Formats: sequence, C-alpha cells, structure tokens
Amino acid sequence: MVRRVLALPSGRIAVVILVLIAFLAVLGPLLAPQNPLATSADTLAGTSGAHWLGTDYLGRDVLSRLLDGSRISVLGSLEVALTALVVGAVPGILSVYLGRTFEWITLRLADTLVALPFLLFAVAVIALLGNGITQAMLVTGALVSPLFYRVSRAATLSVARSLYVEAAVIAGASVGWVVRRHVWLKVLPPIAVALAQTIGVGFVIVSSLTFLGIGVQPPAPTWGGLLASDLAYLSRRPWAPLAPAVLIMITVWACNLLADAIRDVSGEAGRALVNHRKARANRLDKAEPAPAGGA
Amino acid sequence: MTTLSEKLHVQADESTVSADPPAPVLSVRDVRISDQAGDREIVHGVSFALTPGRAVGIVGESGSGKTLACRAALGILPAHFEVTAGSIEIDGRDIAGLSSAEWTALRGATISAVFQDPASYLNPSIRVGAQVAEVIRVKKGVKRGEARRQAIDLLRAVHLRDPELVYGQYSFELSGGMLQRVLIAAAIAAGPRILIADEATTALDVTVQAEILDLLADLREETGLALVVVSHDLAVVAQLCDEVLVLRQGEVVEQGPTRQVLHDPQHEYTRLLIAEHEQYGLDRFLAPKEDA
Repeated sequence: MVRRVLALPSGRIAVVILVLIAFLAVLGPLLAPQNPLATSADTLAGTSGAHWLGTDYLGRDVLSRLLDGSRISVLGSLEVALTALVVGAVPGILSVYLGRTFEWITLRLADTLVALPFLLFAVAVIALLGNGITQAMLVTGALVSPLFYRVSRAATLSVARSLYVEAAVIAGASVGWVVRRHVWLKVLPPIAVALAQTIGVGFVIVSSLTFLGIGVQPPAPTWGGLLASDLAYLSRRPWAPLAPAVLIMITVWACNLLADAIRDVSGEAGRALVNHRKARANRLDKAEPAPAGGA
Repeated sequence: MTTLSEKLHVQADESTVSADPPAPVLSVRDVRISDQAGDREIVHGVSFALTPGRAVGIVGESGSGKTLACRAALGILPAHFEVTAGSIEIDGRDIAGLSSAEWTALRGATISAVFQDPASYLNPSIRVGAQVAEVIRVKKGVKRGEARRQAIDLLRAVHLRDPELVYGQYSFELSGGMLQRVLIAAAIAAGPRILIADEATTALDVTVQAEILDLLADLREETGLALVVVSHDLAVVAQLCDEVLVLRQGEVVEQGPTRQVLHDPQHEYTRLLIAEHEQYGLDRFLAPKEDA
C-alpha cells in the first residue's frame, strides 16, 4: 500500500510535506536561529536578514517561535490520532466477535461520544486536571474515537460474513486467527485513511486550543499561540498571522491529501485506478506476459 | 502420491484391510434440521454411516437440504437453523455438546470441507500458498519454513503443476480448477479423516470436473479419507460413491448402494433424476455394470 500511495503524485506531495513537518518537530528547536523566548527592542519588525519572518509584539523572532512550537502541534495531533485509534478500532473489531451485550454497550458508547463537543470537553478537562496539552489531547482522542470504531466495525462486519472466513473456520481457525489474518487486512486501509484524517483534525484541535491559550503556558511558543498573539496588532503588521496560518493550513491539507491518496489506492476502485495508470504508462511498452499457471 | 499419504496421518490400511466393518468415522442418525425463524422443519431425518475410505453421496435438487445436512456435520449451520432431533457423531464423539474451542480443534484436523465457487473461499489479499501453509502451521504447530515446504508438497500432491509458482500467486491469478485444487489442499492440510465436498465440482467445466473427481478418488484410496459428496448431479455421485442418498424436499426418498440405486431405482423421483441424466452421459456408468 505504501508503494501504491507513493505512486500517486498527490500521495508523494503529502508524504514529502508531512516528513518535512515531522523533521521540524524533531529538530525544530535546534534549528531555531534564535532563542524563541528572548525579547528585544525591535518589536513588530518586518522581514529582515536577522529575523526572516519578522518579530512579534515583544520583539521575539517569529521563525524561531514557529520552529520551536512545531513539536507541540505534531505531538498533540499524534496523541489525538493514536488515542482515537486504540480506543476506537480495538472495540470496533471486537464488537463483531464478543457477543451482543458488548456490541450493544460499545455502540451506545460510540453514539454518546459523538454527541459530546470535543473542544468544550477538552477545555473542561483542562479546567479539571490542570493545564496541559497531553490530557486535553487524550480526551479529544477518546471523543473522536467513534470514527475509528465505526470504520473498523464496518470493515470487520463485511469480512466476518465473507466466504473465505467461513473457509478458514472450516479449516479449524479460531477467532484470533481470523482476526489476525483476514480481518486485519480488510480493516487496515480504512483505518489508515481515518488515521491520516484524524492527524489533520488533531492539528486543527491543537491549534484551536493553543490559539485560545489553553494547554500551554503562554511564553512557550505554539502555532496557535503565534496566530493569536499578533492578532491585536493587525493594524501595524497585517501580514503577521500569515506565517503560522499558512503552516497550519499546509499541514492539515497534506494530511487530507494523504487520506485521499490512501483511499484512492485501496479497495476495488484503487486497483482500477492504479491499473489504469499502469496501462497508460505501458501503452507504448511491450505487453506484459500473462501470469504463468500450473495445472 | 506416496508423499501425500505420508503427509496425512490417516490410518488407511487397517480400515481397508481388516475383515470386520471398522467403526464409522462419521455417523449421522435421523438428523432433523429446523428453521427456528420460520418454525418449520427443512430436513426430515437423514441417516448414514461413513467408515474410513468410503464415500457417501447425497443427491437432490436445490433446496432439498443437502447443504444444510453437511453444515450441521461441520457445526456451521446458518443463524437460527438448528438440529432438532437425531445425532451426529464425528469419530465417536457426539457433536451436540461441543464447545467452540472443541469445534476449532475438530475442524480441519478431523473434518473438513470444500465448496462450490472456490474463488470466494480464498482471501484475495493473501497468497494462496500462504493460506494453505497457515492451516499447516496452526493445526500441526510447525515452523513457518517447514509449513511452507509441506504446503508446496501438498500443492504438488493435488496435481498442481509448478507448485512453487502457484504458492506465490493470488486467487485471482488462478483458474477455477486450480483454485479448487488449492482449496482441496488447504482442506486436507491438517490431515482430516472426513472431507465433505459440497457441490465441489459444480462450477467447473466437465473435463476439469473429471480431474477433480479423480483427485478426490485418489485421496480416498491413498489416505483412507472418508468422503461425503454432495451434488445435484447423479453422474458425479455415481463416479465416486459407494452409497447414495436421494434427498427431495428434506426427505430421503431412496438410500442404498450406488449400483443398486442407479440400476433399480425404487422411487419415481430417483427414476426421474436418472432419466434426466441419461442424456448427459450417465449411461456411461450404467452400461458396463449391467454386463457385470
């Protein structure tokens, strides 16, 4: 699947962007040309050799702050996505196999979670447990987990009824074997799509929270915080929110692009698409020999 | 084929050589199956006993309850179907009280099955060889490499040319006859004593069908596999089975040794089936035996 995603131009673009962002998250604080917390007299400056992206209202270097803040955004969105994956997909698959009671309970729980507004809930949890991005993200992850629950349950249901699972059962397969071998393969593509999508949603959530000043103590730089801090000085420096906004936008766009690319190459439609592209590429080439057979 | 009989731990010799009738490996006694939702009985009493190396045929038109009877023996009746009377014993054990773990242990290792439409019984996303090897690995508890070797041996034993190549292919790359061979290989991988072939050759064309039937006959001779052959086609059953049950709307209308049923059908329905099939070459099986 990885190879097929990379075969699509959109998949390549998305992967390159996300790798760059991940790179920023790991090395960002080291790459920052200046101390992101150091203030200077040179406030609200424009682009210059010393400050590539200018300075904010306290004279802090915007580029350094962006680079330094990338780690929180990336970590936060990954926390959301992975929590959602574990909390959602595991019961999603098991709901098909663990009997009616478990199925009923998890379905109702999923419905309940969908009904809760996660941004408000995250704020409430921070109020309860103290300011911290991690607890906010874990709760948000749990609240967006119904997506994974639904997706993995739907895929599992379709496999559970398939004849090859029946054949495996007749060959003496246990439930564990069926899930490991057959369900897993079917659940993986939709889960990969949901994961890429949720990472994008995670970025938006982290940025929204930090924009509101929730989750991270103010002097520490964040993408959302940068967006917020310069908003008050729009009259003097109208381009100020541009850099963090563009960064957030590109990241989320890349996540959605990746989700689309994964969806495009998985399943029946995906095979048709890839074959179509292959056929076009091979049009002038010699025809491939037919697969050789046995009996 | 010697490799196959070595691979499968089925006691063929004692059963075929000994003078006493051996204990039946599958015995079905007056089994009745009902649809609990519609509250009506679908199968009204099927009985037969199957000893190792023998083959029993179940013939009847669609909806006569053939497949339900087989599924009952495999413990995979569809939802809300139930065995309401009679008993099924596999290798001397009544299946009524089996837990799902006991079923898992029994299936594949003692009783197995192949069905119509082999393409949908293989996972299209996994190489076919790996699916055969998986059964060997889990059921016999051998290592991956050893399972792979045994799977290739099995693919060779079911007369697939170039088994190494087939091992690495996907189900959509193989023809129907090849797929059915792969499925048979998977079904006998764990050395079962009973194989149920439910319309196993129906979707195949006539020549491939003959090859698959020959393969089943070989397996039966070499390994002492007991066969239950389910078909709507009398010719298939005539070719392979010692005993025939003719099923009509869940009722066994005639039962007996194949030769006797085909030559001297007692029930008008059997006569009708035979008459219908004469034009398709059933006389091929009738003629030489009339001389004998």
